[in-house]
Amino acid sequence: MLRTSFQSQKEVLSIRNLNVRFHTYAGDVKALDGVTLSVRNGEILGLVGESGCGKSVTSLAIAGLLPQNAEVVSGEVVLGGTDLLKMKKTDMRLARLRDIAMVFQDPMTYLNPVLPVGLQITEILTDDPRLFVQALIDNRLGQLHQGSLGKVEEQERKRLESQLNEGRLSKQELNRLAKAYATSMLKLVRLPEPERVFKMYPFELSGGMRQRAMIAMALVRRPKLILADEISTALDVTVQAQILKLLTELKEKIDTSVILITHDLAVVAEVCDRVAVMYAGNIIEVAEVEELFRNPLHPYTKGLLGSIPNPDAAGQELKSIKGSVPDLIYPPNGCRFHPRCPEKFDNCSKQKPRLLEVNPGHFVSCFIFGG
Amino acid sequence: MTELKETEVPKQKSGSVADVKYAFHLLKENPLVIFGFIISVGSMLVAVFAGFIVDPNTWKHVDLSMRLCWNNPTFNWGIVNVFNCAGPVYALGTDSYGRGVLEMIILGIPLDLQIALEVVASAVFVGVVFGGVAAYAGGVLEEIILRITDIFLAIPGILLAIVLLVILGRSFNILTLAVAITWWPTYLRLMRSQVLSEKEKPYVESLRAMGAGPSRILFRHVIPNSIYPIFVQATLDIGGVILTVSALTFLGFTPSPLIPELGNLANDGIRYLFTAPWLILFSGLTILIISLGFNLLGDGIRDVFDPRLRR
Amino acid sequence: MRLYEYAIRRLVLMVFVLFMLSLVIFYLTRGLLPPTSALASYITPRMNDTAKLTLAQSLGVATSSCPSFNDFTREMPECIVPLWEQYFLWLKNVLSGNWGYTLLPGITGTETTWDVFFSRFPYTAELAIAGAALTILIAIPFGIVSATHNNKFPDHVSRVISLGGYSVPQFWFGALAQILFVLYIRVNGLGFLPANGALATNCGICISNPGQVFALTGAPVLDGILSGNLAYFWDALVALALPSVTLAITSIGALTRIVRSSMMEVLRQDYILLARSKGLKDRVVIYRHALRNALLPAITISGLLTALLLGGAIVIEIVFSLPGVGNASLVAANVLDINYLELYVLVTALIIVATNLVVDLLYAKMDPRIRY
Repeated sequence: MLRTSFQSQKEVLSIRNLNVRFHTYAGDVKALDGVTLSVRNGEILGLVGESGCGKSVTSLAIAGLLPQNAEVVSGEVVLGGTDLLKMKKTDMRLARLRDIAMVFQDPMTYLNPVLPVGLQITEILTDDPRLFVQALIDNRLGQLHQGSLGKVEEQERKRLESQLNEGRLSKQELNRLAKAYATSMLKLVRLPEPERVFKMYPFELSGGMRQRAMIAMALVRRPKLILADEISTALDVTVQAQILKLLTELKEKIDTSVILITHDLAVVAEVCDRVAVMYAGNIIEVAEVEELFRNPLHPYTKGLLGSIPNPDAAGQELKSIKGSVPDLIYPPNGCRFHPRCPEKFDNCSKQKPRLLEVNPGHFVSCFIFGG
Repeated sequence: MTELKETEVPKQKSGSVADVKYAFHLLKENPLVIFGFIISVGSMLVAVFAGFIVDPNTWKHVDLSMRLCWNNPTFNWGIVNVFNCAGPVYALGTDSYGRGVLEMIILGIPLDLQIALEVVASAVFVGVVFGGVAAYAGGVLEEIILRITDIFLAIPGILLAIVLLVILGRSFNILTLAVAITWWPTYLRLMRSQVLSEKEKPYVESLRAMGAGPSRILFRHVIPNSIYPIFVQATLDIGGVILTVSALTFLGFTPSPLIPELGNLANDGIRYLFTAPWLILFSGLTILIISLGFNLLGDGIRDVFDPRLRR
Repeated sequence: MRLYEYAIRRLVLMVFVLFMLSLVIFYLTRGLLPPTSALASYITPRMNDTAKLTLAQSLGVATSSCPSFNDFTREMPECIVPLWEQYFLWLKNVLSGNWGYTLLPGITGTETTWDVFFSRFPYTAELAIAGAALTILIAIPFGIVSATHNNKFPDHVSRVISLGGYSVPQFWFGALAQILFVLYIRVNGLGFLPANGALATNCGICISNPGQVFALTGAPVLDGILSGNLAYFWDALVALALPSVTLAITSIGALTRIVRSSMMEVLRQDYILLARSKGLKDRVVIYRHALRNALLPAITISGLLTALLLGGAIVIEIVFSLPGVGNASLVAANVLDINYLELYVLVTALIIVATNLVVDLLYAKMDPRIRY
C-alpha cells in the first residue's frame, strides 16, 4: 500500500462498509450495518443520531477499542493510507498514541480519580520516550507556549533544543519537557493557572475544567483525528457553550480533523463543517451543515429537524417521529427506517438503499432518490 | 499480552425470554453453583434424616476392642501402621472409642448445621437491627454503636469466643452465643452501609413527606430493600461458621468429647494423626465439603442478583 | 485535612478502643468469675487461710476489713473490693508493665506473665508474618491475573484456589499436609518435612547439626540469619514451611477473591477505556491506572486478615506443636490463668488496631479523595 503523506490527501479517514456485530447471550446485535463515512482534512464532521444508533460503536471501531464480544464482520477503516482493521495490536496501539485521540462525555468518570491531572497528560508523552524524542525532533508537537517552562524561559528553550539536537536528552529533561508541553496545552485550552491545575486531582476541578483537561490530553500529541463523543452533553449550558467555542478556536490553531458525535443538532449547527446522520447502524445522509439544514432529504432527517421545538410556533403540537428505534438483534428487512417512514413504498422493506451523491457533496441513502 | 475487557454496548430485548437466556448464560459461566446447591441441600437432607440413616444412640456405644481400626478392604493406607480388627466392617474406620467414623460423621452433621443456622440467624438479626438503626438514626447513637462494634472487631473471632467459653462454660449453647457475638459486627457494618445508601434515595424522602414515621420507614421499607447482600453473606457465612465452630470444638471447647460433632472427631483424631489418619481426614473433609457447598451457593446467588454485575 | 491530622484522629480513636476493650475483658475475667480465681497463679498448697487472705488483699481483690478468708470465698459484701477500684489498680499495674504472675511455663523459666508471654511471642510473630507474606505474594498476583484473564484457565485455577482456601478447615489442611509430607513423601528414610516444632533436625531435607545461634529476637528464622548460621536458618525455615502455608490458606482465599472482584470492577471503568485510547501499553494501564484503584478496597480488609492470621495461629500452633503464645493460651484457658489471657487478648488487639491504623493512613495517602 502506498503510504502518501496525509497532508496531500483530501481525506484523513475513510470508512467503507463497516459491519460490526456484538455477540450477546440474547442474540447477535447487528450494531453497524455497512457504515460508509469519510472525514476530510482539517474539518469538524458531526455525527448525529439518536441514542443507540451506533455512533459510539463507530468511534470505538475506529480506535480499535471494541469490547471482547464484538466482531468486525467486514469493512475497512483507512487512516493515512493504512487499514486500521488489519493492523496488529501493537501497531494499533501506536496508532492510538500518535494519530487518534478520543474525548469522552463525562470527564468525572473518564479521568482516573487517584492520579493527578498533569500526570494523565504527560504519560502520553513520556511512556514511550523514543517516540517522544522522535516527535520532538520531527517538530510534530508544535510550539511551546510562552511561560510553560517556568521562569527562566529563553535560555531553557535554547538549552533543551541544543541537547535535543545533540541527542543528549536525559530522562529528567524529558519529563520537564513533557511537563512543559502539558502545561502549554492546558494553557491552550484556556485553563486558569495551568501550573496549579497540573498538580491537582480530577475531583478538585469543576466539570468544565475537567472537560478542558480531557481536550488538552487529546491534543498534546497533535493527532490526525480526534473522536469527540458527546463531549458537551454532561455539562450545563453555559459551560457547553464555552467548550464548543474552544473547539472552534482550536480548529483554527491546530491542524486536526474531528468527528464530533452528538445527538444535539444545535451543537452541530454551531460547530461543524459537515454532518453525517446515522440511524440504526447506517449512515443515511451526509452533507455540508448549511445544506443539510436548508435542504434535508432523508425522511428521518426531515423528521429530526422538524421535531426541533420552534418558539415561533408556540401553541402548535410538537412534532415527533412515530414509532421507536428498532431492535438490532432482529432488525427490519431492507431499509431499517422503513417501519417509521411516512414516505415509504414497496421496495423499502425488501432492499437496502445505497448511499448516493444526489447533489454535490450531499449524500443520501433512500430509494426516493435512487439507489 | 494481557487482554482487557471493557463495557459492552449491546441492545437487548427485555422480558422473560432474555431473562431465561441470561440465567443459562450465568450457569454456563459458573457451573459449580449447581454443585454447591447439591451439596448444601444434600447436607441439609442428611441432617434431617440422620436419625433414620444411623441409629442415634450409637454414639454412646463405646467398644474399645474396635478402637482405631481400619477394616475397609477397598483402601489400603500403605505406610500407616493400621490395626486391622475383626468385626463388622466400618466404611471409614473407627475412632478411639471404637465407634464407626462414618456413623459419627452422619450424626454430627445435624448438630453442626443446627449450630451454624442458629449462629447466623441471631447474628443477622442483631446485626441488621442495630446496623439499620445506626445508619438511619445517625448522630450519637450511630457513634456509640460503631464504637462498640470496633471493640468487637479488634480481637480475632476465635479468641473472643475462647474467652467467653472459658468464662461462661463449655456448652453448645454458650458456643452458639460466643460465635454469634463474634459474627454480628459483619452484618452490622454491611447493613449500615446498605441503609446509608438506601436512605438517600428519593422514595425515602417521599415517604417522609407523606408523614410516615422513622421506624415505619426503617422497618417496612428501607430494611427489606437493603436485605439482599445480607442474604448472600448469610449463605456464605454458614460455611464460615461451621469452620469456626469446628475449630473451637477441635481446640477442646466442648461439653464432652464423646458427642458426635465434626470438630470433636478431629480433636480425637489429631492425637492419632500418623496411626489412624482417617479420623481427622474424613471429619475434616466433611467440614470442607459442607463449607464449600454453602460458599458456592452463596457466590452463585450473588452473581445472579448483583445488579452491578448484571449485563 | 492534612494527613497528620487524620493520623492523630485515628490514633486517639485507637487508644479509646483499646481502653474500652480492656474494660470489657476486665469485666469478663474478673467480674464474671468468682473472686478466688484471681488467686490461682499465686496460691501454693502450703498456704493457710490467713496467708491466702493476705494474698487476696495484696492483690487488691479483698478489702482490708475482711474478717476471714472464708467470708471472702463466700463473697461477703464487706470483703469484696468494688470492681471499679480493682480495675483502676489493675490499670495502674498494667500500664507500668506489671502483669502479675502466670502458671504457665516460660521458655526461659521465668514466671511473670510478661516474660512468659514475650518469650513465646517471637514464634507466633514469625509464623504470622510468614503467613502474611505468603498471603500478599500469592493472592495479589492471582487476583490480578484472574481479572485480566476473566473466564479463562488462569481465572478458573485462581477461583478454585481461592474458594478452596476459604472453605478448608485449617486443622484438616495442616493434618493432611503433615500426613503427606511426613508420612508419605519421604527422603532418606525420614519424612520430607518436619512434623512439628519450630526447629527440626530430623526431616529429610533438614540439616542435622545446625549449631547455635544468638537469641537476639527469639524467632528462630530471624536469629539464624542474624547470627549468620545458615544451617540453623534453613532448619527453621523448613520447619516453618507447612505451618505458614496452612495458616495463610484462609487469608489467601479471602484476599484473592477481593482483589479479583475489585480489579474486575476497575477494569470496567471508563477511565480505563480512556487510558487505552491514549495508546498506553496494556501493562501500564493495568499497573498504573487499574491497580491503584483496585487495591483500595483490598487493603481495607487488612484488619480482617490480621485477625484471621492471629486467630488461626492458635489452631496452627496446636496442630504443629509450635511453642508460641497461641498454644499457651489454650493451656491458660483450661487453668483459668487470667493474667495470661488478659495480656494475650490485649496484645492481639493492639496489633490488630495498629494494623488498621496503618492501613487507614495508607488508604488516605493512596486515595486523595477521602481526606477532604
